[in-house]
Amino acid sequence: MKKFFTILALGMMALSTVAFAGTTATNTNTVSPTLQISATIQSAVQLTLSTGTAAVTHCAVTPTGGTPDYTMNFGTVDALGINAGNCNKFAPTTPGTSNAIYWSDYNLNPVFTSQTATTNTITAQVTTDFAAPNNIFIVRDSANSSTVPAAATDFTAVSTATPDTIVTNAASGSTQTRFIGVAVTPANGAGVTGAKSATVTFTLTVQ
Amino acid sequence: MRVLEHDDLRRTHLPVVKSGGKVCGASFGRPLSALIVLAFAAIALVRPAAAQQGTFTISAAPGGIPFTAGGGGTLSGQFGTMNALGIGTPGTGVTVIPLNNGALYLTHYQITVTGLPNPHLAAVTAFVNSNFTHPAALIMQSCPSSSSCNASGNFSAMSLLAAAPTTVVAAPGINNQTVAAGLAIFVPDNNGASSFTGVDAARITLTATDTTNNKNFATAEIRLDTPVGETVQSAVRLTLATATGGLAITPGSDFSMNFGNVNGLGFGPGAGLTTVAAAGGIVYSTPYVLQPAFGAFRSTTATIRTFVSTTFAHPTILILRDAAAGPGPYNNIGTTAGTATQITNAAASRSSITRFLGLFVSNVNGATSFRGSDSATLTFTMTVP
Repeated sequence: MKKFFTILALGMMALSTVAFAGTTATNTNTVSPTLQISATIQSAVQLTLSTGTAAVTHCAVTPTGGTPDYTMNFGTVDALGINAGNCNKFAPTTPGTSNAIYWSDYNLNPVFTSQTATTNTITAQVTTDFAAPNNIFIVRDSANSSTVPAAATDFTAVSTATPDTIVTNAASGSTQTRFIGVAVTPANGAGVTGAKSATVTFTLTVQ
Repeated sequence: MRVLEHDDLRRTHLPVVKSGGKVCGASFGRPLSALIVLAFAAIALVRPAAAQQGTFTISAAPGGIPFTAGGGGTLSGQFGTMNALGIGTPGTGVTVIPLNNGALYLTHYQITVTGLPNPHLAAVTAFVNSNFTHPAALIMQSCPSSSSCNASGNFSAMSLLAAAPTTVVAAPGINNQTVAAGLAIFVPDNNGASSFTGVDAARITLTATDTTNNKNFATAEIRLDTPVGETVQSAVRLTLATATGGLAITPGSDFSMNFGNVNGLGFGPGAGLTTVAAAGGIVYSTPYVLQPAFGAFRSTTATIRTFVSTTFAHPTILILRDAAAGPGPYNNIGTTAGTATQITNAAASRSSITRFLGLFVSNVNGATSFRGSDSATLTFTMTVP
């Protein structure tokens, strides 16, 4: 009888379940390792531009993948509104006195995440103006809306000194249609013709 | 231990007396007197009968499994508890080497040869005279004295045939000295119909041969059955590993993975991460590898499930998702053991399963938004039915 118990005890010891680290186990058919996953969430903002769809014709907004981020080309323009340009134009009200406006619609696409506040603005500022003699300058729709401008007077020069607010409290992910163009003055003199370029900086701020 | 010595005497015949080139036969008139004379002549002229000399001793090696001497020139011991994955601490005097198809449990023992006349040498062979009753689960292996016997490559299966034994001390052999040799049991994965768990035992016969005269002069037996024998246990293992091109998985308690800085727009995913579009945010995705292994099971496949055992502190902002392929679809991983996500129900042992873990990051703004660090824990459960 004593021998029987000795053998039984040995058998129980041998067959008892032994578990080791969470990745391994013996004498059982299951094992459950764990994986801890960590991450740090950051807030994020994104503002992209794209070609508009509101006006009759559209100058393409072309992403460059570099600097500048986008380009838009109004084509060949003149102060009398003779050239068609690449998209839309308003001929001068008084040729030789008032400006011709070549313009296009475009879309702003603000997106932001993990922001405490949802209030936001989008501003525009000419950060690199056309070169002298400045007979051409950047204009925007005065209304800061998606309503298609009806006349040259619906445009305002974009500031070169301080940002102009063009969108307020847009929903994240919404598309905002606006209008931008160039005004060509009837100025004469040296350097008024030829290819010219300027840069507008759009800034999305969520706060 | 002193082992049996054979009474293998060299037969020496009574020499024939030669005279003048002829054989002369002795003649006695009285038979009794003739017999006495013949006896004395034999004592005077015969060379001593040369018995096969030498003894052969098997003993425990330092650090090897302990042996107890039994009757009839036997030694008894055991390797103890073993499993195909080499998990756990092996028995006393046993070293385990996990292999990619099982585990090798090895030990060392000593062979001592004494009493051999110079310049005689002894070779030693071994064979399994009584094999394990579950030969698919336990395979006896031997390592010759010429090797260090510390690596799996030093061992080979021991012969089961007395007529073709395994060399332990190779010819021409050793003179009177002590050498160490290795003994091992290979425990293969052995899943399926031949699987076995329980106690088994085997016996080994070692034979010493005088290589000068090719005479076997001693045998010994090692019985691996005391006090219990060899106990084979089932074993399971599930590990995670970094996939090629994936986020690093760091061994810890048990594993960890850091997605680093993430945002609801998927900007700038870190190395090893890709982003996948998702409604309401973005999914940061990474491949990872599951490595199941199991031994001594009737089933050849296992089921692997996972669930979020500790959710993120912000469970609506960060959500763990699972996919079979990189592009998705990504589905939320269950958050209870009862709703665990099944990864596979056909995991083969020693296989590598590439899976994709997605971290959904919400793009929500406002009061419910969150910025900062957070963590969660996934529990993977492998079950071999």
